[in-house]
Parts: sequence; C-alpha cells; structure tokens
Amino acid sequence: MDAKSPLSLTTYPISSEQFDACLSNTQDIRPGWAPLNEWVKSVGASGLSACEKQLQRLIRDNGATFTVEEDQEQQVRPWKLAPLPMVIDADAWTPLERGLQQRTRLLEAVLSDLLGDQTLIRDGVVPPDLLWANPAFARDFVGLPVATDSQDRRQRLEITGTDLTRTSRGQWLVVGDRTRAPSGLGYLLENRITTSQVHSQLVRQCNVRRVARFFLKLRSRLQDLAPRMRGNPRIALLTPGPKSYRYFEDAYLARYLGFTLVQGSDLAVRGERLNLKTLGGLLPVEVLWRHVSDRKCDPLELDPTSREGVTGLLRTVRDQSVSIVNAIGSELAQMPALAPFLPAAAKHFWGEELDLPNAETYWCGNEQKLSHVLANFEEFLLRDAFVVDRESPIDVRALPLDQQAYWRARLSENPQSFVAQRREQGWTTPVWEGEQVTTWNVSLRTFQVAAGEDVDVLPGGLARVGPTQDCLLGSPVSGHLTVDCWIADDCPTSGAITLLPAPDAAIEPQRGGDDLPSRVAEHLFWLGRYLERSEAIARLLRTTLKCLVGEEFELGQSSLPRLTAALASIGQLPPDCVIEGLGEAYPSLESMLPASVFSKDQPGSLQQALRSMVYNASAVRDRLSIDGYRILRQTAEELNSPPPVSGGVLGPALERLNQLITDLLAFSGLTSESMTRTYGWRFLQLGRRIERTHQTVELLSASLVPVSEPERLICEAVLESTDSVMTYHARYMNLVRPQLVLDLLVCDDTNPRSILYQLKRIDDAISRLPRAPAPASAGPDEDQESSRLLIEHLGQVNLDALDAAMNGRREALSQLLQFIGSGLPDLSDAIAAQFFFHTNPSQALTGASGDEFVI
Amino acid sequence: MNLSSENTNDQGEYSASTRYRVLHRTAYSYSTPVAMCQNQLKMTPRSRMGVELHASEVRISPCPDSSRIHTDYFGNEVTTFAIEALHDELVVEVESDLTILGSRNAQPESDPSWEELVADLKTPVRAGMLEVGEFTYPSPRIDWNDEIRSYALASFSTEASLAKAALDLTQRIFRDFKYDTTATHVGTSVREAFQLKAGVCQDFAQLQIACLRSLGLAASYVSGYLRTMPPPGKTKLIGADESHAWCSIYTGKQGGWLDLDPTNGCIVGQDHIPICFGRDYLDVSPMCGVAVGGGDPRLSISVDVSENPSLY
Repeated sequence: MDAKSPLSLTTYPISSEQFDACLSNTQDIRPGWAPLNEWVKSVGASGLSACEKQLQRLIRDNGATFTVEEDQEQQVRPWKLAPLPMVIDADAWTPLERGLQQRTRLLEAVLSDLLGDQTLIRDGVVPPDLLWANPAFARDFVGLPVATDSQDRRQRLEITGTDLTRTSRGQWLVVGDRTRAPSGLGYLLENRITTSQVHSQLVRQCNVRRVARFFLKLRSRLQDLAPRMRGNPRIALLTPGPKSYRYFEDAYLARYLGFTLVQGSDLAVRGERLNLKTLGGLLPVEVLWRHVSDRKCDPLELDPTSREGVTGLLRTVRDQSVSIVNAIGSELAQMPALAPFLPAAAKHFWGEELDLPNAETYWCGNEQKLSHVLANFEEFLLRDAFVVDRESPIDVRALPLDQQAYWRARLSENPQSFVAQRREQGWTTPVWEGEQVTTWNVSLRTFQVAAGEDVDVLPGGLARVGPTQDCLLGSPVSGHLTVDCWIADDCPTSGAITLLPAPDAAIEPQRGGDDLPSRVAEHLFWLGRYLERSEAIARLLRTTLKCLVGEEFELGQSSLPRLTAALASIGQLPPDCVIEGLGEAYPSLESMLPASVFSKDQPGSLQQALRSMVYNASAVRDRLSIDGYRILRQTAEELNSPPPVSGGVLGPALERLNQLITDLLAFSGLTSESMTRTYGWRFLQLGRRIERTHQTVELLSASLVPVSEPERLICEAVLESTDSVMTYHARYMNLVRPQLVLDLLVCDDTNPRSILYQLKRIDDAISRLPRAPAPASAGPDEDQESSRLLIEHLGQVNLDALDAAMNGRREALSQLLQFIGSGLPDLSDAIAAQFFFHTNPSQALTGASGDEFVI
Repeated sequence: MNLSSENTNDQGEYSASTRYRVLHRTAYSYSTPVAMCQNQLKMTPRSRMGVELHASEVRISPCPDSSRIHTDYFGNEVTTFAIEALHDELVVEVESDLTILGSRNAQPESDPSWEELVADLKTPVRAGMLEVGEFTYPSPRIDWNDEIRSYALASFSTEASLAKAALDLTQRIFRDFKYDTTATHVGTSVREAFQLKAGVCQDFAQLQIACLRSLGLAASYVSGYLRTMPPPGKTKLIGADESHAWCSIYTGKQGGWLDLDPTNGCIVGQDHIPICFGRDYLDVSPMCGVAVGGGDPRLSISVDVSENPSLY
C-alpha cells in the first residue's frame, strides 16, 4: 500500500481461502462496518495509534496487567485490547444465535440423559465408552440433585461458552464447547466497558447491541436458583485464587454483578449449610457460581488433595441447601468426544437437525473413523477425547516424522482416548498492527445463559486474534490481542440498561460489614502492616541518604552511625553494618545504601515489604477502589523496573524513594477519605497502627537511646523520618531538644505519628470489632487487654525521666521502648487468634493408616 | 435352628445359610483437639444376591451434628456425618446382623466359554449387558500391561470354561504371591504389586481384577469380612478379625457374579461377608474424612465377626 494513500479498511490484502470479517472476496466492505471505516479514514494512522494507547492506559488503570513477581512471565491479563473492534451485522448473527440456542438446549439434554436414564447409550446413539473409558466421569456425579428454579425447572448448565470458527464461505463451525465454567466473560465485559469509553460515538453509529442485558439475565438467573431468599440471596463466586489466570476476571465479574468473591478457604459447610466465614460469624450462601473444576469442588468426596473446594459441598448439594452453577458433573458435556454424536442426539431427542455444525471431528474409538484419521493423518489435530485442558492440541502436520509415528502408535494403542479434528483454515479480521491495517486470524467464544428452554446468547463474544491460526489453538489465553466483538443492528438498540439499579425487589440498607470474610480481614491487616513498614523504611532511607549528600555533610556524618543502626534494626541493612565510628565505612555506605533501595535479597528490606504489600493487596483487590489499586499497581511496576545501571549513584535512589513515599501517602490518603469505617477498614488500620508503633520504637531505640553530642542533627533526622518536622518547628522554632522530640513522638496523643496516638487508635479499633465466639485458644478480649496495658503504661511516663541519661544511655527510654516493643507481638497474635483462626490446617483421615486394612 | 457351615466344602459349592453379627469399630485418638470433622462411611452391608440384611446400626461418638445416608452409584449405602464441636477422639461402630444364604455361589448351571462372553461384553448394548460393561474398563486404581495380561492368559488360553479358568487364576495368585503386610501400602498400584509378587488382600483382589479386565472380562471389587472362628476341623483363614476384600467376576446373564478370593485361593462361600461393591478400592474405601486440627492421630480398628444363631 502506498504510504501516502489515506488509511482505509477496504485496501488491506485478504486471502481468498479465508473468510474475512470485514471484506468480501471482491474487497467490498461487509454490512455493519461502514461507520468504522469512515472513522478509520478520518482519524488516520495517528488516530488509531492514539486510540491504541488510550485503550492500553485504561486497561492498565483497571489494574489488569498487574504482576507481583518480576520473574512471573505470565501476565495476569493475557492480551492487549485492539483498537479496531470486529463487527458482525445482525443478519449474519441471528442464524448463529439460533444455532447456539439449540446447541445449548441440546447439551443440557445430553448431560441430563448421560447422568440419568442414559437413553442415548441404550439406544446406541452415544457409545458407552464415552462414560466408561472417561477418567473424568466421577461416579459421584450421578444421582446428585439438580438445582431448581422458581418455576420448578431443573437444569445443570446455566452458563455455557462455545468456541467458533468460520469456513471460507462464512459458515459457522463449532470447534469446542465449554459447559463447566467458561472463562473469558470477565475479559469480554472489560473489553466492552473500555471500548465503549473510547468509541462511544462509533458504538452509537454502529447500533451495537449492548451486553448489559445479558449480565442482568445472568444475575437474575442465579438469583432465581436460590433455594431460599430468592429476592436477595447471597451469591458467591468461587475463584481458584490469585495464582489462577481467571482471578482478574473473577474479581471483575464479582464486582460488576454484586456477588461475593470467595476462595475455598472462605467457605465452610456447617450445620448442613454452605456458609461464608465472616468476622460476624457464618453467613449462609444460597448460590455458588464456581470457577473451580468439578473434581476439585469437595476434598471429602472428590479429589482429596484439592485446596480450591469446600469440604462437604456435595453433602449440601444432596440436601439441596445450595445451588451450584454450573452443576457438579457439567464437565462431562464439554468432552470433545461428544461433538460427533450431537447431530444424532438432536434427532434422538427432538427429531431435529443440528443447525450449527461441528468442525469435522472424529472419535477414534470407532474403528472406521480411526482408519480414516490414520489415512489422512496430517490433516488433523489430535485432542484428548474426554477432558478439555489448557494444552494445545497435537498438530500432526507440524510434527517431525518420528513424532508422527509416535502419535500413530499412541492412537492405535488407545484410540478411544483421542478425538481428531480437521484443521480449519480459520477466518480473519482487520487489526491495527505495526502502523498499518492488516488481517489476523480470529477465534470467537460466545456465551449463553439458559433458563429452561429460554436461552440468551450474549450479543458478541470474546474474540482473540493472532497472526496465524496456530497461535490461537492453545489455551483460552493464547493469542496476541483481544478484540471487542460488536453485533451491529440496522436501527438504534432500545433502551440503555445498566446493572447498577437493583431489580424491583426492595433491599434493606446495610451498614455493618459483618460479612467481611476472615481471610479478607487478614489480608487487609497485613496490607496495613506492609504499607506502613514500606513507608517507614523508605523515609528512614531517604533521611539517611540525605545525610550523605547534604550541605551539612560534615555534621551529617555524625548522625550516620545511629541511622544505619536504625536501618539495620528494622532489617533494611544486614546487622553487621552497624558501625561505631565512621572512618573507613563511609565509602562502602555510599554505595551500599542506594543499592539497598533496589536489593531484593535482604529479608525484611524495603523491596520485600513492598512485595508483601502488593501480594496482600492483590489478594483483596475486589475490596479496594480502582484508584487505590492503581496506586499500588504503579508501586509494583516501579518495584519490578530494573535498578539504575550504575548501582552506587545516590540520585536515582533518592528519586525512587521520593516517588515511592508520594505513592504510599496517596494510598493512605485514599483509605482515610474513601473507605467506609467498616471492619475491613479497621483491620487495615490495626495493621498500620501496630506497624507504625513498631517502627517508631525501633527508630527511637537506635537513635535516641544512646547519647552522643551533638544531638541536633540526629533529632532532626528522626523528626524527618517520622514526618514530624513541620509540627516540631511550628511549636519550638529551631530549638531542637531531645526531650521535646520524645514528647512529640511518644506521648503527644494529638500527633498522628506518636506512639500514644497509635495505641489509642488500636484500642479504639479493637473495641469496635465484632465479638464472634472464638475458639478456646483465644481468651475473650485478650487483645484489648494488651492494648489497654500499653496505654496505661504510657500514661504514667515522666518526660524528664525519659530524657535522663546515664553513662551515655537513656535507660528509662530504653525500658519503655522495650516494654512496648515486646507487647506488640502479643497484641498482633491475639488479634490473629481471635479473627484469623480459620487458617488452621485440615488433614485427611483415610480410615486406614500405615499397614491398615490389611489382609 | 443352627444352620452353621458344617456342610461347606472348600469350593463353597453348596452350603446352608449362616447368620452373622459383625461389629466393626474404628477409633481415632488425636494428639490435639479436632475442631471440626466431616466423614464418610461405606460400612453398612445391603441385602443383595445371596445376602439378607436384618439390621444394621451406626454408632458415632461424639454425637454428630448432622448425619445423612445416601445410596451411591454402585448401590452401596453411604453415611456422611459431621462433628462440629471440639473433640479428642472419634469412635465409629457399625454393627450388622445378616444372613449369608446357602444358595450363594452355587456353581452356575451354564458355564459359557469366556471368549463368547468377552465378545458380548464388547457390544454391551446389543448383548444387553449395559449394567456390567463398565467393569471391563480400567478404573482409578486398576490398569494393566502386557505382562499382567500374559499372566492371566496362562489360565485362560487352554481352558474354555470361564468359571474353571477364573478359579485357576485365583489359585495361581494365591500360590505365586506372598501374603506380606509390609510389602505394600494402601496406595500401591496393581503394577507395583505384580512386580513385588507380594501384598495384602487389597492387592490380590485388584490384581485379579486387572487380570480379568485385561482379557475383556468384567470384574469388580468387593469389600467385606471373614468369619472369625473357623468351623470345627478347619484352620483359621487369613484376614479374620479384619476387613477383607476379594474380587467378583461376571459370568454372563444366567450366572451373574461369581466371587473369588485370591488371598485364600478359593471361591467365596459362607465365610465371606460382603459390604460394598465397586470398581476398585477407591469406590468402597470404608472410611474417609477431613478433620481440622488433630495433630498426629492414632488409629485403631477392630472387627468382630460371630455366628449369631441365638437370634433365630
């Protein structure tokens, strides 16, 4: 393409063998794309690039590209979002929608039959091997009661996904079904919300069908399945946890739909019910939308090694006291070996043809099909017949000859465990890549929510694109970019829908926050502690570095030994750094201190504190505001960015510390202004206050317990690293006296940096925590006793005595600090015992030990 | 009337009915208290071919906060219970009163050729064998290799009669494998046990099942007990006073299932009291559970089987 010709969607080259979403074989633009093409022409290359950047920024601000570990290669959000959406016009979409509705009903019927009367097997429609040779067919799936809705409809598959491709003539083909817990819905939602922000005008011009109605339907469907309290049931979304690629979208979906995001450890079966473990006690869960696999749902009856599920869950299912979505056992409906039998199943049940064909797929357990596959081996992709996993299928053509022979042998040896699917060409859609419009292969996943016969298809889908068909074959997170998929109507779509207003049922205002899961409380507590620890270390480091570069260098030197001692006592420097005299130590300090800002090895150091802070934040991301999370993400990004090449330079280290302190203060400000004073906030506060007390105790012990003249500079350094310089100078001008510094930092309960202030806040927070019945290990109110004792002790302090020094030491100060310092761990432990007790490990009892069960 | 086992011969070909009382006691004693436990029991016998259950009682201490009974896929009775109060000890006693009928395991009238049966089992829908077809497949604890298959074939290649060949295999396993409680553990695979040429009843049963399935036959795993006191003049069998396990082979529509005990090299007769039925040990494991806390638990199991004529 001539670089000077105007950018357009009609000029990029397409392949005659592949269907292109935007251009016909004759390079004519397809229906629905015209407004997009006009936009591309009007904004040109610079407009598209700007749009791409804007999308990146919005996605990043959502916290989607967040990583805790720098060496963790896998990004939490798998793809970038492409600036060009893919448009499918309503005329092409409607028949597909019908086909998907039929297929969804069919899969439900098939699953219900396989787990019930098995007429498909009795009448020879489906070979019994699909169950009997299937290692995923846990016999416990059979006979479980099925969730019932308000109209007494029983159903196993509420939410399904379908992976689609198109032939060169545009015919839709199904390449795979997802009936267990289809992933991608959260990313799709985020894609749509983000592109709507950037392309608000285009969305209107194209008459794009909104997806909100689908999510509304999904939510009301889940509510309708609640065994009790259908008006406002507690619905929990069970996620595998922060290490899973699904965690981001699970958190996103839970927040959008107003569900409680939980992990297995947040739930407990007690009193014949499934409950959420909260600070206020156990709260029943009515509906569990689970994103963990069938076998991992219950360690008692299914996989005993699972940590993702809930012990006893199957018992509550049998009691019908909770509805699981999708039903346990729904995994069977997505087995690849089922696809070739679906057309016959549609005839068997309803005498209908299957509207939406499968990609050509063979189950190799059939001898004729096996020989057909072996005779045309290179045309096929091999998949596990029974289980959908995240592995790529075996692409026979891409294998070296010896590997082909190996797979031939595997296939012949164990044919029933394989399906062969003919490799499809795939279809394409335009993307903006490398400063030009080009076409990439696309893979589309649609989503359906079913209520009996009534199936809603989400208008659009999660589209992944990549330069070749191969790069889309693998896991659900493969591909290079994701594309928002628009279904374009001829005329404007009716009425805007949002999930924000509640349905007609009245909801009582809630104030408490009793339903805070204990695990979340624990993470917030530690988030508070690491946040404060990071800030304290950063401030002290900055003060110390300034002594090295300051105008008053000569004087600054005198403070260095005590400041480095303080840094060592809080773990930022190795203990052997504590030096008495300066002399020969200075050159090494000049390089060691800045290096320690970036060092990841020293336990207890700034980097480690930041890492732990980010870890705890990411574990409770659904509890933090977007803004708060953005700040923490930025901190994490800086954490992961490489240190400056020349390690010994003070400048970059100071700069990094300044930025870090600003970020941490911003986050603190946000929590104090924006978080409701519920239990979550109190745990965050408790963590912060306990840690700040600890840090101040350590700082004062290292800096002001030993006396060595002149003390003005060390006092100023202490004031600076506790952010109390302004207060002090406002009160006392330039008269720096240790006694006054101690008053401000220890006894002044109006100074938010003083120890007494922290203890009073701790006491206050504890008195407002719920008094849930605690296990025997924690005595009642043990925690509050500890804080009261400390406060009482501080109330009796005599300032003159504190300042008094003998033999170069302030002995009274030392004793006071020691008393407080040793009381803090008890306080922290008492809180943990009272509120975080659920973390006790559980063990499996086999009824058999060692040589048990002998004979 | 005391219908004891005096008429039983070694092959169990014919005998009168015997009534038993079985007491199976499982006790966990914990080094630190357990805050919460959830357990599942498969210890209650059911009336089935050759077995008549009169009464069965499950006693659990401390008293469970909830308890449920359901029937599993294989028709076994499963008790699920939870204890939600702090406890140091868990005791489960299951007491059953049942009669092993004399008609049990009488030699089938028709003895099909095993090869015909294998052919039928390959087309279970057409042969009307849907109920047993799945017992020809590998299961979580049982699979096989060529070695195991050749070992099995040695009994079957020269013998057309299914029952005779299967009993021959049972006796060969009894002779060729050493009963050794230290050789294997609860998780030992069939292949390992085959290599070791040693094991306990669970290994022997699973091995014979693997052998039979490797030929395309349907075989299942049976958990149960053995008569404690031998009949007069007989030696006490291995595994008395303990839980026991054996295998069962499908002999066709007429003959149904035939139980074989490779640990003792015999056809199962009046001395064997079945509890549960499944594809392998995992389907019938008598007790499993999850406990919060408990430290290092100590487990003791006792089984008491007595003839119970007084109840007649």
